[in-house]
Amino acid sequence: MRTIDQTHVIYRNPLARARRFTAEFFKYLILAIVLVVTVAPVMLMWSSALKTKQEINKNPIALPTSFYTDNLTKAWTVGRFSRYSLNSIIITIPTVLGVVALSCLAGYGFARHQFFGKRFFFMLFLVGLMVPFQSIMIPLYFNLKDFKLLGTYFAMILPAIGLGLPFGIYLMQAFFRGLPVELSDSGKVDGCNEFQVFWHIILPLTTPAISSLAIFQFVWTWNAFLMPLIYLNKDEFRPMTLGLMFFQGRYTSDYAMISAAVTLTTLPLILVYIILQRQFLRGLTAGAIKG
Amino acid sequence: MAVSYRPVKASPALKWINKNKAGFLFILPALIMYAIFFISPFITSIYYSLTNWNGVDPVKQFVGLKNYINLFKDSLLGLSLSHNVIWVIVGTVAPILIGLPLAVLLSNIKRGRLFFQTSYFLPYVLSGVVVGMIWGWIYNPLFGLLNYILKGIGLGALSRGWLGDPNLALYAVIAAAVWGYFGFCVVIFLAGLQNVDVDLVEAARIDGANALQQFFYVIIPQLRHVLNMVLVYTLIGGFNVFDIVQIMTVGGPANHTELIGTYTYKISFQQSNVGYGTTLSMVMTILSLVASYFYIVLRERQDEVGQ
Repeated sequence: MRTIDQTHVIYRNPLARARRFTAEFFKYLILAIVLVVTVAPVMLMWSSALKTKQEINKNPIALPTSFYTDNLTKAWTVGRFSRYSLNSIIITIPTVLGVVALSCLAGYGFARHQFFGKRFFFMLFLVGLMVPFQSIMIPLYFNLKDFKLLGTYFAMILPAIGLGLPFGIYLMQAFFRGLPVELSDSGKVDGCNEFQVFWHIILPLTTPAISSLAIFQFVWTWNAFLMPLIYLNKDEFRPMTLGLMFFQGRYTSDYAMISAAVTLTTLPLILVYIILQRQFLRGLTAGAIKG
Repeated sequence: MAVSYRPVKASPALKWINKNKAGFLFILPALIMYAIFFISPFITSIYYSLTNWNGVDPVKQFVGLKNYINLFKDSLLGLSLSHNVIWVIVGTVAPILIGLPLAVLLSNIKRGRLFFQTSYFLPYVLSGVVVGMIWGWIYNPLFGLLNYILKGIGLGALSRGWLGDPNLALYAVIAAAVWGYFGFCVVIFLAGLQNVDVDLVEAARIDGANALQQFFYVIIPQLRHVLNMVLVYTLIGGFNVFDIVQIMTVGGPANHTELIGTYTYKISFQQSNVGYGTTLSMVMTILSLVASYFYIVLRERQDEVGQ
């Protein structure tokens, strides 16, 4: 089977080449227009963060004339984004680690072991893929209250781990299934127990799947809004998404401040995204492509 | 000291344990977390929906199916659901109509494919809150980018408060959501296109199919897997929308952008009507399950056809 990537046509005829050139030109023109629509709003937010309020309202498109950093420092200190960004990190890292660890273990169990009720448990986890967070958000609120977790970071971390598991397990078991069975058999022959086989032989081979899952979970947790809105509503625990919402409430139409806050939230994320672009594209579409 | 070794005869129970132990231990930690933070609240959700609890009283009074009967009398729910239907239709069709041609274009260029892909995908990395705030600024009636551009190109007559106009607000929010989502579709479609068999396309061309016919009769059928995927993602997503609407309009003006997600939040956490709120969340659950069910049926039928 030949795929699109392998088709190369060489045009020798100058007329055909000219036609080819205009075709190419229009292709890139359309792609570039869409590119501007996609990227410009974000860039304009960033450039507005460096302008004064008067400058923005006079001309939202113009580049900043001076390097005005007051908005950014004000959002960082008075707007408490220093606190919110720290909160986002405190919430996201344990969640990602928890989901990855538990999903690897369970995914391996489902892919490579036979046990009573395996099909049932697997279906049970799959239900979690189809059901929205709203299905459980209300009772979970009262459960967390009863556990005395409300008003601690755990009120978000623990449920986020539990809710991340269905996708994580689904992804990891699909990956483990793809590895040759002989690998674990050879380990057992050499005298490893089940866990040693998993830890020393299987796990080192799963880095691509783990990085996909970690990035997916990272973006999902970092961007979560409804969950912290309900479970972490105290100012000192708010992550950046929630901080942004309250910030918007306070500085309604002050786009100098709002764009500064948006910049503080998006700039680090987008830098990470650009550095790890291939991993992001793979991670966030994982599951969709293999289906 | 004399030690006598007795040959141990494994009992059936012990054998059973040994056979199942390893696999079960691997899934146990995940199962515990999942049971506490998903299964248990999920079941409690069903129970709450049969009570008229307000979240404070020590007693949860059982009212049977009363909440479910009230769903049919709730005109605001009907309105919210009708907005969800619009959201699902426009929010599914638009990203596919934008994403598919772009993916075809991208598959046809030699240079810069990853660059364009990365750029289009960028909004998808941002949270709904950020997308909502960026577009809130674009739509702002006084300082907004959109009105500024319209005035700049001589279409100042069209400028307005986009999110304040009852007839436009919903579509304005959907447009913002599509901006945040279409890049995902481009990447998925592009991955699908890279698995399209070009020999089939060539065969169709030799048989006299024009470019459009090749696209609709040869390429699209090979993309149905990916198309289904996107369809279900947007379908489920379209019934669960919350973030972007809450940030941009909070359901306003006068409920014109109220969706079942924002409505459920209002009833449960702002009006503390836990019983009815969970009933509404059950409606969302059922809608999502129905959408997933269709996906599974579609896939199974396809797999049969494919064989």
